[in-house]
Amino acid sequence: MEAARAARQIWAITWFNVRMLLASEFFVLITFIAPLIFATLGFFLFRSGGGTAGQTLLYVALGAGMMGVWSTTLFGCGGAIAWQRWEGTLELLVCAPTRYDLILVGQTFGAVVFGFYGIVATLAWGVVLFGMPIEATFPLVLPLSLLAAIVSLGALGMLIATSFVLYRHANALGNLLEYPIWLVTGMLVPLATLPFWVRPISWVLAPTWGMEAIRGATIGAAPPLLAIAMCFVLAVVYYVAARYMLVFVLDKARRDATLSLQ
Amino acid sequence: MTAAVLPRASASPLTGLRTAWRIFWYGGLMSYGMLFNWARPSIYIPTLIGGPTFQLFFFAALGSYATNRSPAYFAIGNAVQVSVLAGVFGMTMAIANERWFGTLPAILATPANRAALFAGRFLPFVFNGLLVSIYALVLGIVFLGVRLQTSSLAVVGVALLTTVFSCTAIGALQGAISLRLRDGLFGANLIMMGILLFCGVNIPLSELPGWMQFVGQLLPFTHGLQAIRQAADGAGMGEVGGLILLELLVGIAYAVAAFALFQLLERSARRNATLDVR
Repeated sequence: MEAARAARQIWAITWFNVRMLLASEFFVLITFIAPLIFATLGFFLFRSGGGTAGQTLLYVALGAGMMGVWSTTLFGCGGAIAWQRWEGTLELLVCAPTRYDLILVGQTFGAVVFGFYGIVATLAWGVVLFGMPIEATFPLVLPLSLLAAIVSLGALGMLIATSFVLYRHANALGNLLEYPIWLVTGMLVPLATLPFWVRPISWVLAPTWGMEAIRGATIGAAPPLLAIAMCFVLAVVYYVAARYMLVFVLDKARRDATLSLQ
Repeated sequence: MTAAVLPRASASPLTGLRTAWRIFWYGGLMSYGMLFNWARPSIYIPTLIGGPTFQLFFFAALGSYATNRSPAYFAIGNAVQVSVLAGVFGMTMAIANERWFGTLPAILATPANRAALFAGRFLPFVFNGLLVSIYALVLGIVFLGVRLQTSSLAVVGVALLTTVFSCTAIGALQGAISLRLRDGLFGANLIMMGILLFCGVNIPLSELPGWMQFVGQLLPFTHGLQAIRQAADGAGMGEVGGLILLELLVGIAYAVAAFALFQLLERSARRNATLDVR
């Protein structure tokens, strides 16, 4: 009964947040427009190198779409608590009898789900403009890959939301962390081409495994079971860390009486 | 009944010039400090130092992997392109934030010379854009194999200054447009991405479809970047002077358009009493 109520709450907040993000010009830009521009850039770059044969176009479209998912997660979750403060709703939400961490889960999932719309837009862009073939080598595994990627990125988003709030200018951190994560998680550049010390960093980042799970199901040679499993493992780790962080942050804010202060 | 007629204070042309200079210089500096949201270390460092650093490495890695070209090619393009962050975003904020911070009516109520007021805003952002680009170029030299011929360093400097100016000019136009928009930074983001895609930053202009090349020619940055690339390879002013001049003309055209739009919006706001409407 309790679990059903929590699930219903998360569901409602997720879709509420998706609708809110849809009304924001900034999020429409980073979710729908920026991935199309990066996909176009990627297509031209690979064409310039003579590498648009086979599944390269799909590789680029998925990577560019996932870059949009990361941007939406980063900005949507990084500023989540800060925006509640700004709007004056943080005190009400924290004081409500509903668990605040569930509210945050719904919010972060809203941002991630919204980000995944961008992948659909990028795929459509590739098909219409560049004649990209849409096919999946493991179509039955693909829904599971997408679910694993959403869950792991949502949990990472929650961790970002609870830790970025300690920094006064969360959006500035967003500006800083967009490109490095695009790079070290292998969204457009294979990890094998990067220095060896980058690999351990990429292993603890959910976008690496999320990308690998989705790519594995669409253009991979074998089902991406390891990547899917890693997504769920990392999701649990992120969630536990985010819970601890949230307790610490809220406790500190209550103690210092800074819950509503900018 | 008679009314005393007060003699009109006559200002010599020299006094007018001095006042215009003060508005240009101090007004520009003050607008930078007060209206540019990023002018504090906690935002400046992640956004204008950290972001460009990673942008450089990202495109150097992606470009050299996808095309087999040298990372230096992408490093030069992106090192110059990151000045857009300071120029376009900065100028947009310096103009549009007058409205959001509630200072626009006060500014427009003054008899201050509009040209001096408007032009003064360019200076800090051109300087800032230069700083960001020079930092990124040094990064490219140290880590990504960028090599600049010492004989043409001055030419690279002139081309860079012109390019940053023209980017700031399109930022001014976006700022003027933003006086009527809910979110001015949306347009600034679009300009930044447009420059990344259309202006030869990562893909040589000749490899883009015809209509994209045409758009690239109309945007600032394209000719300036071509001049910088050629000068970096040792070309002198005689060879790239035409490109620099073209870039300067494009920049001036955007600056004039921005000023004209600013004047038009001022008149329209006065007529319709919408100066302070958000």
